[in-house]
Parts: sequence; structure tokens; C-alpha cells
Amino acid sequence: MSRVRLIETTVLILLGLLLVGATVNDVARQTHVNQRLIADLRTWRAYTGHGYHNLSIEQTLYGERGERSQREVVCGNTVPGAPRARIQLCLAIWGPVVAGRRTVHGGWYLPARTEEDLRRYRYGCFGQVSAGICPTAAEARAEHRHARSGAGT
Amino acid sequence: MAIACALVLLAATVEIVLDAAREHSPLVPRTPHIAGWLGSLGGERLGYRVFLIALIAAAVAYGLLLALVRTRAQDVGDRTTVRRASIGLVALLNLIVFAGPILISTDVFSYLAYARMGVVHGIDPYTHGPVAIAGHDAVFRYVGHNWLRVATAYGPIYTLLSYPLGLLGVVGGLWGMKLYALLASAATLALTWHVARRRGHDRIFALLAVGANPLYVIYGLGGAHNDLIMLALMMGAVAFTLSDRDAAAGATVVAGALVKATVAVLLPFMILARRRASTVHGALAALVLCALAGYLAFGVHGIDVVSALGRDSAFVSTDSFPNELAHLFGKPGVFPVDHDLLKAALVLIVLHLLYRTYRGYDWVAASGWALLAISVTSTWLLAWYILWPLPLAVVTRDRRLLVATLFVQALFIAHQTSPLFAPVS
Repeated sequence: MSRVRLIETTVLILLGLLLVGATVNDVARQTHVNQRLIADLRTWRAYTGHGYHNLSIEQTLYGERGERSQREVVCGNTVPGAPRARIQLCLAIWGPVVAGRRTVHGGWYLPARTEEDLRRYRYGCFGQVSAGICPTAAEARAEHRHARSGAGT
Repeated sequence: MAIACALVLLAATVEIVLDAAREHSPLVPRTPHIAGWLGSLGGERLGYRVFLIALIAAAVAYGLLLALVRTRAQDVGDRTTVRRASIGLVALLNLIVFAGPILISTDVFSYLAYARMGVVHGIDPYTHGPVAIAGHDAVFRYVGHNWLRVATAYGPIYTLLSYPLGLLGVVGGLWGMKLYALLASAATLALTWHVARRRGHDRIFALLAVGANPLYVIYGLGGAHNDLIMLALMMGAVAFTLSDRDAAAGATVVAGALVKATVAVLLPFMILARRRASTVHGALAALVLCALAGYLAFGVHGIDVVSALGRDSAFVSTDSFPNELAHLFGKPGVFPVDHDLLKAALVLIVLHLLYRTYRGYDWVAASGWALLAISVTSTWLLAWYILWPLPLAVVTRDRRLLVATLFVQALFIAHQTSPLFAPVS
């Protein structure tokens, strides 16, 4: 084996080992995320008493840690129906997994057929997270007026 | 043993196709019911668990089959029977997937949307995303959410090829896209067979390594990806060099690059190794002709593949190795500076390969390494991107390329497996 080929092969083996490490690490990381999401779905179902499967989960960006905040918002219909077809109840969930569930720190409602969980659509905020999460009454009235004028054009 | 491996490959493919035909699932994009009759043959909604088990079983069977063919190549008494059985297996795998629904990816609906934008609605797909036909065309509802506002990144030759299918409606166009993929796959496999024979390699091994590859069959053909057309042209170019038709080889690489730009990476290696002016002349002639056709059809945007590549290279997919490495080193993901580092690394790799080619290294192997390096350093990695070096890897003497390609593919499959350990439902 020539010297160049030997060096190339050594570099390839080292790169291969690095990629194996990265892949194993990522599978373990994603498995942990999945376990957390499973606990969040279980928490939503236990909290609402509904065994629905069409729930949406979004990672929230409270604070500056982004994805690593491990805070999730789980939304689901309040009565049976197609995904997002009914009034939705969203729960803000974080903390350690205890007995397969995590702690609900509050939540809010979204009107039926709302595709995105935007602040201006929220109402009925409750719990620890409610401060600043829902629009104020004045903001809600302005949004309502905006929606009505938009619908008329 | 080889028969058992072949049966596992067939069974895994049938399982995935039948389950996918049953109903929509996260692994089966929303699609017109083109394969509903298969759903009535049995199966259940395709879930991650069944899909991953079938994929892993197929990958293991594929690896064993290749090892058997490689180690017993000299022992097999009746090569004719083995050859026929291998061709039959690959043909069956291709036809099973062809008969089924679109798997895994919504890309084919983007292809169709761009075609219909051009021929039905008179909208330039190089300046508008499919959102331009929202509410006006049935194909719009099937286009992937991430691509609604994205103009086409494909070359003008592919766009012109796709235009006739745009006139066939959504279902007709979809079958047309599937037929294109099947024909491109057949051409790729036939050319791989031909090139392997001409270069003195085991053609049965080469055929099986490409045609029975689970990522090639399930992801590439299952998604009817236009990468297969690019691969066919790539192998066509290699075949032309074997019969000393260097002008045609250069022209074919350019044609491939105007389907999907990645294959252009072959050209400098081919020029450096062949050292014939006709390669450059052929490439230039094809470039002028195709650019003129592209310009007449689409204007300046139709030939500006560089900006489309620049845009797409900024995307980040969860399966990309740079993203995995970022996580390994405690970063939340890939940052702009990482893109620059990756581009610098890719440039260094290509320069090293060019130097090696200049010193006599096999240009086909060097091209394969370059394609593998592009897919590994890309922050936007999809399963069908790691198919690019495979047909080249099976027709080169440097076996490290095939080992590295299959190793990267195995890592890709391994990276999909987290739903097996913690299924979210």
C-alpha cells in the first residue's frame, strides 16, 4: 500500500469513527426527546381526560435556551373532531418526567380551525404561564376589528 | 442462503408497499389514490415500527447477499442461472415499488407542480413557487409544506422533460413521473452492468449492489426522484468514455448537470484523466445548446443553476451529518460559520482528488469520492443523495469507495431508528 493510500485510509477510518459517534449520540438524543414527548402526550390526555391521538406538540422558546429549554406546548381538540377542527386546549408542560408524566404550568384555548398557535388567537389563559401569553382585552378587541374588516374586503 | 436473502428483500419491499397503499401515514405523503387496489390485498397503515424493521431486514439481507455473491463469485457453477436470478430479483423489486404509492417524500408533487405551472398556467417555475397556483390547481394540495414558496432548483433539461407530463393531469402526471423513474432506473442498471463488464468487474455484483439497494429501491424509486435520471446520464457518460467517445461523454455530463447540477462534479475529473480536447468540446457544445434552449424556454433564471444551488445548500436537515456532529459537540445545530467550514473542507477534498487523478488515480473512483464528500458535508442530506456515488463505486477498482458508501448508507438507516426505541403516538 502506498504512503498516500495509507494516509487516506487512516483519515477515512477516523472520519468513520467520528460519524459513528455522532450517529449514536444523535439516536440517543432523539430517543430522549421522544420519551419526553411521550410523557407530554400522556400528560395532556390525563389532564383533559380525553384519549385523543391527534395532538400537536411544539417546542416553546421561553428563555434563551431554545430547543434545549425542554418546554413543550401540546394542543388538542376539546371535543372529538378532525385535527384543529374544534376549540383547542393548549397546555404548557415542562419539568422532569415523574411516573410517565410532566408538570402542567398553565395553558390557553385556541378557536376552532386555528392553524398556528399565535398569541393573538389565544384566550382563557390560565396558570403560571398566563402572564403575557394571552392578548390583553384591548388587543383582542383590535384583533377582532381587524379580522372583521379583513373579512369584509 | 442467497435465496433466503432475496426472499427477505422481496418480502420487506412488498410489506412496505402494501402497507403504504392502505392509507395516508407520516411515511406516505398525501397523494391521489393511485395504488388503492394494493391496499385491498392486505396490510395495515404503514407505521414507523413496521417500516424500520422492514428497512433494517432488507439492509441486512442486502449486505449478506452482496457478501455471498462477492465471496462465491468463482465457486458458482451455473453463472447463467445466477445472472437470470439476479436480473429477476432486481426487476421484481423495481416493479413492486413502481406499482405502489409514492413513498416517504413529496418531491414528485413539486416536480409535477412546476410542470403544471409552466404548461397549464403559464407561470415560470424558476421565478415562482407552487403557491402561485394555490386554489387553481389540484396538485397544489400535495406539495410539501416547506416547498410551497420555493422556485424549482432543477435544471432546464429536467424541467422541459417534465412539461409533457404536466398536461396529463395530476394522476396521469404522477404515473408519468413514476414511469420516468422506472425507465431511468432501468437505464442506470443496464449501464452499470455494461460499464462493470467493460472495466472487468463482476457485473452481477454490480447489478445487485445498485438495483437491490434498499435506499435505492424504497427511497429513490419509491419517491420517483429525478436523481435517477441524473444517475442514468452519469453512467451514460462513463460508458461513452469506455468506447472513446469523449465528446459524447462530456456532453452527457453537462446534460446530467442540467437535470440536477451535482453531477457536474464529474467533468473536471474526466477532463483531467482523459486529457482529450474532445471532452471539453463536447461539454462546451452541450452547454451552449442546452443553455440556449433553457434561455429560450425560461429566460435567464432557467440557466442560473448556481443561485439555486446556493439557496438549497443553506438548508439544514435533521439527518445531515454536520447536524449530527453539531449535536455531538454540544451545539443546537449548524450555524452559518459551519457552512463556510464545510465548503472549505469540500474544496480541499476535491483538490486532493484532482491531484490524485492527475497522478493516475481512477477518475471514476475520484468522481465517486467527490459525490460522497458532497453528500456527507451537505447540511441538507436526504436518503437519495447518498445513492449518487453508488453506481460509480461498483465499477471501480478502489473497493474503499463502495465500503465507504455502504457505511454512510448504514449510518443513515441507523439514524432513523429512534422511533423503534421510543415510539411517539
